[in-house]
Amino acid sequence: MATTHQTAAPQVHSGVQPLRAGQGTSFLWRKLHSLLGIIPIGAFLLEHLLSNYEALKGPLAYAEQVKFLNSLPLVRVLEWAFIFLPILYHAFYGLYIWLRGKSNVVYYPWAGNWMYTAQRWTGMIAFFYIGYHVATQRFLGADLPHNPGMAFAKVQHELSNPLILAFYVISMIAICWHFAYGIWLFAAKWGITPGKTARKRFGYVCAAIGVLLCVMGLASIWAFVGPKYANAPANVPVSTLVAPAHAGSAFHLSSFQPAARS
Amino acid sequence: MADRTVLFEIKRQASPDAPAVWEKFELPWRPGMNVISAMMEIAANPVTADGRETTPVTYDSNCLEEICGSCAMRINGKARMACSSLVDNLEQPIKVEPLTKFPLVRDLQVDRSVLFENLKAVKAWVPIDGTYDLGSGPRMFPQEQEVRYPLSNCISCTCCMEVCPQFNEATGFVGAATIAQVKLFNEHPSGKVLKEERLRALSGDGGIQECGYAQNCVEVCPKQLPLTDAISDISRDVLLQKAKDFLRG
Repeated sequence: MATTHQTAAPQVHSGVQPLRAGQGTSFLWRKLHSLLGIIPIGAFLLEHLLSNYEALKGPLAYAEQVKFLNSLPLVRVLEWAFIFLPILYHAFYGLYIWLRGKSNVVYYPWAGNWMYTAQRWTGMIAFFYIGYHVATQRFLGADLPHNPGMAFAKVQHELSNPLILAFYVISMIAICWHFAYGIWLFAAKWGITPGKTARKRFGYVCAAIGVLLCVMGLASIWAFVGPKYANAPANVPVSTLVAPAHAGSAFHLSSFQPAARS
Repeated sequence: MADRTVLFEIKRQASPDAPAVWEKFELPWRPGMNVISAMMEIAANPVTADGRETTPVTYDSNCLEEICGSCAMRINGKARMACSSLVDNLEQPIKVEPLTKFPLVRDLQVDRSVLFENLKAVKAWVPIDGTYDLGSGPRMFPQEQEVRYPLSNCISCTCCMEVCPQFNEATGFVGAATIAQVKLFNEHPSGKVLKEERLRALSGDGGIQECGYAQNCVEVCPKQLPLTDAISDISRDVLLQKAKDFLRG
């Protein structure tokens, strides 16, 4: 028959089940996922990008920042309670959210639908990147909490591989995107921006935050791979410092070379 | 104009477990024709484009003026009302398929009773039944009417649910239409007596938290309901209700 062609065997499905009014705990878990993305994960992202920005002032300033963070009281508790555990929960629950959604951006290529899809893909990039980054920079190689002076060289060595550098750059963009749209989603879904105009205006604010963070992040990466600190020492003796590292521009690499190589 | 024709491709399925089949139809063009009037013609004279007799096409429709919500279907891949889909505005051949998220009955007819179940689950009504005359209700201010009127335009077509990436069998998400009706009845001077119950209902599994804010609902809604605004407002109300319930113990 010219007019007909068979398609795949039909899936007889019972359809979407009705609302389980007032039952279950998914509301709590979903809202926890949403909240953790802003506090503490978003707050930590801000801290991390600001700290990274110190790298633009050179190895000494960067080492001082690492030392300062590791000198915080109960730092290991802070690290687990406010960074690792929230990120683990956000990551795995986010994956669960993604697996249960059925993206249809192919049929409905609208802006919000693209962002919905992008939020899932950028989350996935962040998932793999953070796993790799934490493993290699926090738990493997030089023990930075006890040797903050080695921080700059450790990152620099990592980024000397162009593939890893590309991975870092892509992940930086993806994470800033995910965070910026995440703030927007948070405001929309927690009823902070319940009007169309408010959401539009806040969209510009979030876009500005995202771009700013991304530019800062990429500038920090440049500090490690650019020519300025190309011959940074493997270790900076932070503990002997008297003057604050914020006079970073006055820092001369050559004066540290003997100590670094010893 | 006698030579001008319109081409349709319709996804047919004789029963929920029968194989799906595409059939082509060719109709003489008439001014102002829409997809539902074409379905009527095809049902009245079920002969395919190559002259083969077939079964009359089955579909839901009633008012023919985008007010009853019956004739939602996928037209050229997008969920919309067949009655307000003017043939002159559509690319040909016009592909007509049933909605994909609801159990299929036959051809273009699907079972959308999940929306009715959801509306019942959130008590989307004003409770005025009783054993004695309650008298006239409280006055509704114009400001309240302005908020409520757009939400009262919902025709239960389920387009917002069809296009929602979160409305599926894995999440069992309630969908935007029901959330908008919760806002409509919570804003009603008498209907708000059930406000807390509605909000608690929406915090259940498949509730408002499953919204991914893809905003397809508000894009597709044939009646331009402010669905995303309603989701934001009701999300906040549900959250505050849950917090109050938690603190009160």
